[in-house]
Amino acid sequence: MESEGAFKECYLEGDQTSLYHAAKGLMTLQALYGTIPQIFGKGECARQVANMMIRMKREFTGSQNSIFPVFDNLLLLDRNVDLLTPLATQLTYEGLIDEIYGIQNSYVKLPPEKFAPKKQGDGGKDLPTEAKKLQLNSAEELYAEIRDKNFNAVGSVLSKKAKVISAAFEERHNAKTVGEIKQFVSQLPHMQAARGSLANHTSIAELVKDVTTSEDFFDKLTVEQEFMSGIDTDKVNNYIEDCIAQKHPLIKVLRLVCLQSVCNSGLKQKVLDYYKREILQNPTDISYVYSGYAPLSVRLAQLLSRPGWRSIEEVLRILPGPHFEERQPLPTGLQKKRQPGENRVTLIFFLGGVTFAEIAALRFLSQLEDGGTEYVIATTKLMNGTSWIEALMEKPF
Amino acid sequence: MDCYTANWNPLGDSAFYRKYELYSMDWDLKEELRDCLVAAAPYGGPIALLRNPWRKEKAASVRPVLDIYSASGVPLASLLWKSGPVVSLGWSAEEELLCVQEDGAVLVYGLHGDFRRHFSMGNEVLQNRVLDARIFHTEFGSGVAILTGAHRFTLSANVGDLKLRRMPEVPGLQSAPSCWTTLCQDRVAHILLAVGPDLYLLDHAACSAVIPPGLAPGVSSFLQMAVSFTYRHLALFTDTGYIWMGTASLKEKLCEFNCNIRAPPKQMVWCSRPRSKERAVVVAWERRLMVVGDAPESIQFVLDEDSYLVPELDGVRIFSRSTHEFLHEVPAASEEIFKIASMAPGALLLEAQKEYEKESQKADEYLREIQELGQLTQAVQQCIEAAGHEHQPEMQKSLLRAASFGKCFLDRFPPDSFVRMCQDLRVLNAVRDYHIGIPLTYSQYKQLTIQVLLDRLVLRRLYPLAIQICEYLRLPEVQGVSRILAHWACYKVQQKDVSDEDVARAINQKLGDTPGVSYSDIAARAYGCGRTELAIKLLEYEPRSGEQVPLLLKMKRSKLALSKAIESGDTDLVFTVLLHLKNELNRGDFFMTLRNQPMALSLYRQFCKHQELETLKDLYNQDDNHQELGSFHIRASYAAEERIEGRVAALQTAADAFYKAKNEFAAKATEDQMRLLRLQRRLEDELGGQFLDLSLHDTVTTLILGGHNKRAEQLARDFRIPDKRLWWLKLTALADLEDWEELEKFSKSKKSPIGYLPFVEICMKQHNKYEAKKYASRVGPEQKVKALLLVGDVAQAADVAIEHRNEAELSLVLSHCTGATDGATADKIQRARAQAQKK
Repeated sequence: MESEGAFKECYLEGDQTSLYHAAKGLMTLQALYGTIPQIFGKGECARQVANMMIRMKREFTGSQNSIFPVFDNLLLLDRNVDLLTPLATQLTYEGLIDEIYGIQNSYVKLPPEKFAPKKQGDGGKDLPTEAKKLQLNSAEELYAEIRDKNFNAVGSVLSKKAKVISAAFEERHNAKTVGEIKQFVSQLPHMQAARGSLANHTSIAELVKDVTTSEDFFDKLTVEQEFMSGIDTDKVNNYIEDCIAQKHPLIKVLRLVCLQSVCNSGLKQKVLDYYKREILQNPTDISYVYSGYAPLSVRLAQLLSRPGWRSIEEVLRILPGPHFEERQPLPTGLQKKRQPGENRVTLIFFLGGVTFAEIAALRFLSQLEDGGTEYVIATTKLMNGTSWIEALMEKPF
Repeated sequence: MDCYTANWNPLGDSAFYRKYELYSMDWDLKEELRDCLVAAAPYGGPIALLRNPWRKEKAASVRPVLDIYSASGVPLASLLWKSGPVVSLGWSAEEELLCVQEDGAVLVYGLHGDFRRHFSMGNEVLQNRVLDARIFHTEFGSGVAILTGAHRFTLSANVGDLKLRRMPEVPGLQSAPSCWTTLCQDRVAHILLAVGPDLYLLDHAACSAVIPPGLAPGVSSFLQMAVSFTYRHLALFTDTGYIWMGTASLKEKLCEFNCNIRAPPKQMVWCSRPRSKERAVVVAWERRLMVVGDAPESIQFVLDEDSYLVPELDGVRIFSRSTHEFLHEVPAASEEIFKIASMAPGALLLEAQKEYEKESQKADEYLREIQELGQLTQAVQQCIEAAGHEHQPEMQKSLLRAASFGKCFLDRFPPDSFVRMCQDLRVLNAVRDYHIGIPLTYSQYKQLTIQVLLDRLVLRRLYPLAIQICEYLRLPEVQGVSRILAHWACYKVQQKDVSDEDVARAINQKLGDTPGVSYSDIAARAYGCGRTELAIKLLEYEPRSGEQVPLLLKMKRSKLALSKAIESGDTDLVFTVLLHLKNELNRGDFFMTLRNQPMALSLYRQFCKHQELETLKDLYNQDDNHQELGSFHIRASYAAEERIEGRVAALQTAADAFYKAKNEFAAKATEDQMRLLRLQRRLEDELGGQFLDLSLHDTVTTLILGGHNKRAEQLARDFRIPDKRLWWLKLTALADLEDWEELEKFSKSKKSPIGYLPFVEICMKQHNKYEAKKYASRVGPEQKVKALLLVGDVAQAADVAIEHRNEAELSLVLSHCTGATDGATADKIQRARAQAQKK
């Protein structure tokens, strides 16, 4: 159920098809994994999805669902409750891969040069020209470990891993008896897989590093940080100006302008007109591809689990759209008796898209020892600022 | 009790037959049964009588009356027959009354005398008239077979799916057959007919003469033939008073009997049951009833009155003006228990229980006897089974009590059979009640299934009883209560004397949110009865929009359908209604409707964007949405127009629209674009080359690259390109040209608004270190280190950084120190750092 245009359709075009499908999907999910007893939500679309779900439930009366519920809560979040997070550059390992190369359905296509097999006498003649396609998911032990880490921490993990693996390979010299050698051989496939995985991620990390150490990336990040700290958000920004003048990709420019606008709660007409004029006079082709800031969306999820939204009524009122709480009564037989130490399971549905960094933050939340909540994430689209803006742009027709 | 077997009649050595009363009929018949056309449905179904048929030459002016009664004689319907002469009546499996007219038309009536439909048996039948007709049942449904005046047969095996089949001719048939019947073999209907001493079998293709094996000689005519309920057996009655009984395939003889009565019997039917010990036939004459089977003696009953036989799965029902009786072979379990001096375990258990109630020690003796033989389980089972076959609740209870008593002495007797029998009997006793009048036996009930029984109760409009049964048996709501309530509601909407309001309210009160009730089905029924308003009211209660909307559309309530579709959030549904509305309404009304429905409007806009651009424009026009109109024309200027003039004109329209929308900025920007387009055309004319569709920025760049600096300046001024960007532009363009001289001149024209670092960067990009160094010296202090590093002057960069005492700059320089060459510099920095820390 991937709909890139969900955000645009819902907020710009008033087309709720994707919300209907989201509600349908949630009903199917409930049919398979039990009725979710509590629904929380924030935002106009969330309200609509909840309404549709209640309506559909009414339509289905008669076929009582008798599956023991897997989820305790459902949290519906509108993307427009937190527009800032996707606009900012993601700084986790996975987030950066997505920002730079774009992850499509857990696959990423990378430039092949770094992955060329290093053979002697090759002379670099037949370098592969086709993009290298890699699958990224937590089935890969190493990736599971580093995907949610801030990129700065990835290097040390990789070098540590490298030492461990080469040490493991050295073991073979110590293997004296047939039994020992057999044991070593039995571990070989696993070790080789680990070595392959390490090689891949070292290459990816190098690729990513090339970008993150560039002057321009640093400048962009600085501007983002300034915006998020509220510095000079009401003036025309030099860096953005320079980007336009230097024909930086349009999406990058738009993304920064949007970020500035969100941080400033809207731009002054004069500033906006200036940007518009600049972009109009010097448009560019559409042909390119968080430290210290906790995403608001994730904060909302965190506060829901403890102490509850009632403590932040004031804040919720400032955010756009209504917030609500619905209960779906369960037959007594299906009500859960929680064992002490057993985690609650919350399903979070991001209406309009979610970024890898937000997912990483939620994973972090559920790993906190006293968190007590496991999160399962659903969305209309896995996105980043670039793909988001791209989807928002009008296709010429 | 002592003469419980008094009404048992032995037939041969193996079987007993008993006849008991089901009901005493008080249906107040004015006519004799023999004067009526009679049809009684099997499975305790209704009885139809058409009095005063046409065969008697009574006053033609008197219209005959069609009466329908329950099996207990409770009148269900009575109507004057206004159509043509009827030859035969019969009930279909769905308990619909089929009336076969002389002209071959078949009129179908419901149980309550409501006319359902009619169909014809074809032209041939119409021309030759119907001589005789039979309604028969097959596994496909109910069929009609017709004998025409031309002695030809036409049949349809299923009236629900009418396919007429004309059977082949019987060679040399001059007169009507003396008797005939339909047979059903291998899922195909055949006709067996008797002409004089000969029997013929008709199938689709051919007519073949058949001879029953072992038929006694001397037969000159067959007077009656009977097929068993399951089409497995056939009986033939000859003019010699001889009865042949065998298989319906005519391949095997079961037995024969000579009753020595030559008068043609009124009726002959089979009386057997599944797993019968004996195959027997019941023959009825005016005053005599005879049960014959494979035994030298027959059982004879005297008929006090004119009677009618109804064959059933497990026996024969016999009704007359005053009584309704059931004749059947005593089932095995009952026989075991009640046979005189029976020592069967069930019989002993029944005795034991009776003694127990009398508080006699004999109870223990009986029980011990059964237990010693290890037959207690069997005894309990026998009692349960026998209870099922008893008609009197008293006897049922006493048998069940015995079973229950026996159960106490068994360790692990699964209770379901006992419980189920109690439930089944309770249901059976309820429907056998005089007021309900469905005298089902246990075997018939099991064959029919509870679902069909419920359907039949619904058909009789016995909704409360049906619901009670559902609740008692705890049937799932969707199959049980809900379904019955829905039927009730469908019946309710047909009551035309009650107002729409009251009907809707009554229905909602009863049904509420009962799961599984489809309000839309009920509404569809109401609409079918012409009560549109009621249908709409009922639809309000329908929770499923997917069901509401199509019916509303059908009833031409499209606007209501639209708001329902929107409520559901199902955009497909909204589109369905929208497209419907679009065809139904004129354009103006359609747009007005949309205006009140923002969601529908935005969906329709989406649709137009993809399908009908012109309509989109009209939509914006109607709403005075000048902003969108402007955007629309902008798009059009790119998409539709090839020539500059056309494009400029389209842009002008757009600009006007933007002014109307008070979007000054967009209007100005559009006008700038028009100006730029015209200018680019002129440039192309004057200078040649490609200018059209370049952005302003690129236009200026192209001019500079072409050496037209003056014009470039002019253009930048005209369009007020900000200084900063102009500098970037020139810088990039001159570097591209590698016109270093001009670049230097430009850099000195005034103080750079973008600083001098970009100069350094761009020179390095063009690999001109010499030029880059010139500018590096002019870079402001805060970017100096960067600039020096760019041109590779690490040592000087270090000096500046040390001078600045800037830690970040120091480490930046340090990271640029490579190997041996910059060793000294690196040391210098480390020293400076150490010093800084000391301080």
